[in-house]
Amino acid sequence: MTIDAVYLLQLTLNGIALGLLYALIAVGLSLIFGVMEIINFAHGELLMLGAFGMCFALPVMGLLYWPALVASVIGVMLVGFAIYEVLLARLRPDEFERSILITLGLSIIIIHVMQYLFTATPRMVDSQFGFDGVEIGAIRITWTRVIGAGVALAAFAGLYFVLRHTQFGRAMRAIAQNREAALMVGIRPRVVARNAVVLAAGLSGLAGAAVAPIQNVTPYMGQFMIFKAFALVIIGGLGNVPGAVVAAVGLGLIESWIGGFYEIVWQEGAVFVIMIVVLFLRPDGLFKRGGMRVG
Amino acid sequence: MKHPLPLAIAVALAFAALPIVTASNYLVGVGVSALIFTVAAAALNLIYGFTGLLSFAQLGFWGIGGYAAALTVVTFGGTYWMGLVYAALLSGIVALVIGYPILRTNRHAFVISTLTFALLVALIARDWVDLTRGPLGIPNLPPPHAFGVTFDSPHKYYAIAWVFTVAMLAFLYALCSSRIGRTLVAIKQNEPLVRAQGISPMPYKLASFAIGAAITGAAGGVFTFYLRIIDTSFLDFYYMQTFLIIVIIGGAGSFWGVLLSGVVLSALPEALRFSADFRMIIYGVILVVAMFVMPTGVAGWLRERKLTAMREQLR
Amino acid sequence: MSAILDVTGLTKAYAGVHALEGVAFGVEAGSITGLIGPNGSGKSTAIDCLSGFQKLDRGKVLLGGHDITGKPAHLIARAGLMRTFQTVRVYERLSLRENLAIASQQFDSATWLDEFLRTRRYRDAVDESEMRARRLIELIGLQKYYEAEAGILSYGQKKLVALAAALMPHPKIVVLDEPVAGVNPSRIREIEVALQELNRAGETFLIVEHNVEFITNLCHRVIVLEQGRKLAEGTAAEIHKDPRVLEAYLGMTPEMAEAEMRGAA
Repeated sequence: MTIDAVYLLQLTLNGIALGLLYALIAVGLSLIFGVMEIINFAHGELLMLGAFGMCFALPVMGLLYWPALVASVIGVMLVGFAIYEVLLARLRPDEFERSILITLGLSIIIIHVMQYLFTATPRMVDSQFGFDGVEIGAIRITWTRVIGAGVALAAFAGLYFVLRHTQFGRAMRAIAQNREAALMVGIRPRVVARNAVVLAAGLSGLAGAAVAPIQNVTPYMGQFMIFKAFALVIIGGLGNVPGAVVAAVGLGLIESWIGGFYEIVWQEGAVFVIMIVVLFLRPDGLFKRGGMRVG
Repeated sequence: MKHPLPLAIAVALAFAALPIVTASNYLVGVGVSALIFTVAAAALNLIYGFTGLLSFAQLGFWGIGGYAAALTVVTFGGTYWMGLVYAALLSGIVALVIGYPILRTNRHAFVISTLTFALLVALIARDWVDLTRGPLGIPNLPPPHAFGVTFDSPHKYYAIAWVFTVAMLAFLYALCSSRIGRTLVAIKQNEPLVRAQGISPMPYKLASFAIGAAITGAAGGVFTFYLRIIDTSFLDFYYMQTFLIIVIIGGAGSFWGVLLSGVVLSALPEALRFSADFRMIIYGVILVVAMFVMPTGVAGWLRERKLTAMREQLR
Repeated sequence: MSAILDVTGLTKAYAGVHALEGVAFGVEAGSITGLIGPNGSGKSTAIDCLSGFQKLDRGKVLLGGHDITGKPAHLIARAGLMRTFQTVRVYERLSLRENLAIASQQFDSATWLDEFLRTRRYRDAVDESEMRARRLIELIGLQKYYEAEAGILSYGQKKLVALAAALMPHPKIVVLDEPVAGVNPSRIREIEVALQELNRAGETFLIVEHNVEFITNLCHRVIVLEQGRKLAEGTAAEIHKDPRVLEAYLGMTPEMAEAEMRGAA
């Protein structure tokens, strides 16, 4: 089997784009875990809400991409705020199983309310860019994909800045690394946790909004991606943000390469196999836990 | 409850009488669901309620069991009974294989890994079309034979479901009230103390995980042949949610609480004939509300009252 | 009298801190030995390493002549070294009876098959365990709570239960990690009396404690650690007068200590 260099390059670019998307979701999960020690089961639904947001915002805003994107993300952040205040604020750090069950219940409610209101019929989203794309040699990439990747990169750059250079970011890292010490220094966990949830919701909503023009929007779309995000967070090390990014991009590439040459079953199963292998060798993930070190 | 066994026997006999009492296929079907879901919930209770491990892998084993039983009969020419044995065996073995690495990690990674496993099984069911026939599934499963009888109606199949349920619950009851069961409870409450008392927790956790898996797999096999078809919808998260809600409402760690809850709650979705979405929304709301109002379930709530009384008495 | 516990060259470092450096001591069978030292002296690390809850970098631990160095915690317990925890550990939602039954479960010869078939071996094991549990419960004075859940007891009462549980399997030595920390003074005396009675009956104890008065009243020998090394060893009286100990603990010279004690008398 000769491997076409161009084909490989196409796969690689697709893989990176996919990986960045995974990373947006996984990073949010990791942030929430680092600050609250809980896993947000409804995280995929935040992505789905972002996508639906685009569905409705684009026609209203005359198919203008950027305003619709911003509106969608803000919408999801508000939802995140509500989720925190109503449900998550009452959880203590060691109530892990309870947090899973609560967010699981929330996930069920959100999916089925959306399905009830908007049916499961997949929706295509049209934007000002339509299906135009850019061609580099024999490789074709749509604008929406390029912008999606670009937006993800910008988000990560912003996140890096926040974690490294703002007080909020430092507070998040402090709690993730050593909760007791952070409390003693006067960091208020409720405020930091709420902001972390809102931020994570924003990232997830951004992923959904970026993905909306690229694939079908259904109430279940978050579910398909979220379990991979869970596995990525485990592989990267719980609470470890750079770890999650590395694992995510790595998975995107691996899945893309495998999918290009083998059957889809193996592509989807790859993440699980990798996770089991990693857990076997390093039960705490590839990188250190809670090490939200960003430099 | 001081002497639960006589009451349990009475309930069991009442259930046995169901197909005799009613001619309605629908009601008997609800009965079959109640029985089998209770078994699956009891198995989850062993792993989550007694050993303290929140495992979503149960859904995966339910599916593995269902497909194993179906394929044994349809593709490999075995009998229904062999199918059930393979369903339990395969589930148990897979549980041991993945259980070992997953149980060694911290509790967060454990829960997520079990979830990933369940979703992976669903994916394999959908995509390994050569084996599972994908979304089309395997319809027209033949009814089982034994002692010259063909169990081809819901009323007749009910007998199999009843015997299976009583056998599994009796086994689980014996296990949960034995020293092994007591050790599992101790592990859930205070693992370092267990180690300091000369007991290694890992073999117990693995055993609990594997036994729960095998029982759930067998239950999946029994349910599949009641439906007479298996397809990818068998791995719907709906089943996992049902098992979870039964355990939580009944009270995780209470054998009788989960039993009662299973019987009552399995019939409930059928009683609430709402649209599928609305039913799920109610499930979700129940889950969230229960976590805030009654996290230890009905049995837990009753226990708290008994404890407060005891405290008063002793002070 | 021979040393039931013989420890040499205990060394453990983590994150650049030398928690233990070449600590060596022995505990005589039938004695009550104290292990004291200021904060950070390595007492807790020593206990955790001895009982298998932390790994030693170097060193050797002999229990009754058998090498238990580096073994996992549950095997060390089975070898005869039982321990309690600084923050008390009991099974909060099990009765005292069950708490004590689990403590001896691993040490009888009945298997799950014996239990299932209710063989003679199983029934004898259960009877013996029940008898021992009742005797220990009486000794610690908590008979009326025998069927009650451990969670309803006070902190000090739970510490007594933990002590009884540690004694259930006839251990060679019981290592107590701060048995009276967080316990109110009236209860401390109860624990002291219980330990003395148990010692008279032949039990061996190694007690790690901060409460110097408690150690002084109880212990035949006292070992003092400071910053990971053994500072001194001797009887309680000797330790009290040892200038190095006074310096490390109280920052005093012997004369100042004397004046203190006379002032307090």
